Amino acid sequence: MNFPDLHLLLNHFPIIGTIVGLGLFLISLVGKNEDLRRASLIIFAAMALLAIPVFFSGTGAQGAIKKLPGVSEALIERHQGAAMLALLFMEITGALSLTGLWKLHGTSRQARWNWNMSAVLFFSIVTVGLMARVGNTGGDIRHPEIASGQEATTEGSMISKMVHAIEPSPTKFAELMTASKWWWAFMMDLHFVGLVLLIGTVGILDLRVLGFAKQIPIAALHRLVPWALAGFGVNLVTGVLAFTGMDLYYTYDAAFWLKMLAIMLLGLNVAAFYLTGAFESVERLGPGDDAPPLAKFIAASSLILWFTVITLGRYIQSFSDTISVNK
Amino acid sequence: MGPPLFLQTIEDTGFSTWLRESESPFAFYFILLFHTFGLALLVGANAVVDLRLLGVARAIPLAPLKRLFGIMWIGFAMNAVTGILLVIAYPTKALTNLDFYIKLALIGFAVWVMQKLNSQVFEDSSLSETDMMARGATLAKYSLFLWFGAITAGRLLAYTYKYLTFPS
Repeated sequence: MNFPDLHLLLNHFPIIGTIVGLGLFLISLVGKNEDLRRASLIIFAAMALLAIPVFFSGTGAQGAIKKLPGVSEALIERHQGAAMLALLFMEITGALSLTGLWKLHGTSRQARWNWNMSAVLFFSIVTVGLMARVGNTGGDIRHPEIASGQEATTEGSMISKMVHAIEPSPTKFAELMTASKWWWAFMMDLHFVGLVLLIGTVGILDLRVLGFAKQIPIAALHRLVPWALAGFGVNLVTGVLAFTGMDLYYTYDAAFWLKMLAIMLLGLNVAAFYLTGAFESVERLGPGDDAPPLAKFIAASSLILWFTVITLGRYIQSFSDTISVNK
Repeated sequence: MGPPLFLQTIEDTGFSTWLRESESPFAFYFILLFHTFGLALLVGANAVVDLRLLGVARAIPLAPLKRLFGIMWIGFAMNAVTGILLVIAYPTKALTNLDFYIKLALIGFAVWVMQKLNSQVFEDSSLSETDMMARGATLAKYSLFLWFGAITAGRLLAYTYKYLTFPS
């Protein structure tokens, strides 16, 4: 695998995607268009998911180019710090968007303005700004022709100086994550607790769609979805923190990347469930009702993919150093 | 005084050595994987029952959740078998660590609570949903607490051992 290619292939999506999402969100506010608002929230959530492998692919891209002439480590560090801050805001925007989608589903179609939508508006605007900075600082690494000509790490405008002041230093942050083995053990512990919560709730929903415990109406089990998302959130946070602590360890590990691929496929799986009519086809199924084949297919692939994620996660340790390009 | 000699005897068997040292992905990590699958089935299913008894997703009818106990027992059986295999792979590491016994005790209590949930809340079909929740709420809290403890103790095994293998 070629990490710079992967990084460049993926990295434009969250930057442009959040701009598109924000645009649609603003239009939906002006036009009071419920479907458009839903679409923009879906875009934010999708970009929040995609931003994770984009972030992870940065370390490998760095490894491939850092020894090239004219490449400044300081510029890479600045880009990485900017990316960490942008990722934080991107994930908060994603979480708020999913909350918004959940509320849109639960309430009447004419959902009113609420704190949740104000928060999406605020965090998505900040995310768009921070993503632009990630793009700029990233571009500076290999495109000196567009850099403003000053010394590498000096910040141009007042705003970029202020933002830079709150960006984490990647090296110091990594040291913080790995300084104590008890902190590391605690994160790994939470990663397992999140796993249990996620598999327990998603698993029972998938099994019911497949025909297990048919006395339970599906809409009732669907109320467990926020708990599944909470489990996923715990694992996203602990997983990203672990990566920032030992980025080289994970970057050159084939099992880690296959796990990320499986998680992205699960994103598509969730999209397929909610956007192809499969959800509507099972939502009103009461005791004893059988789900249609499409919904069963999606539920089965969800179960298979989640157990694949566990499998690949378990093999990360034994697959360390299985990728040996441009270290 | 070092660890008891029988630990070395187990470790020196061909099977233990193979589990521990084989490069095959179907040796140690395969067993660890199924130990994690078992955890997901056992605690995942039990946690859903616990949460429901504590008032989460009240729309779910309680009685059909009895089916989940079958999944829990499958997970438990998987983890009993894989757990024994993991101890055979690293007997000194596990059996000289106090944390290992804490983990076993927590699992013992958690399974005992799980069995009580089944017999006291789900076996008696004359109970109303309100009665089931009233009877099960305390057990459900203990259950969540004990499983959290068991997972934590299990995770800590990787960070607290005194010997990885028998000291030479």
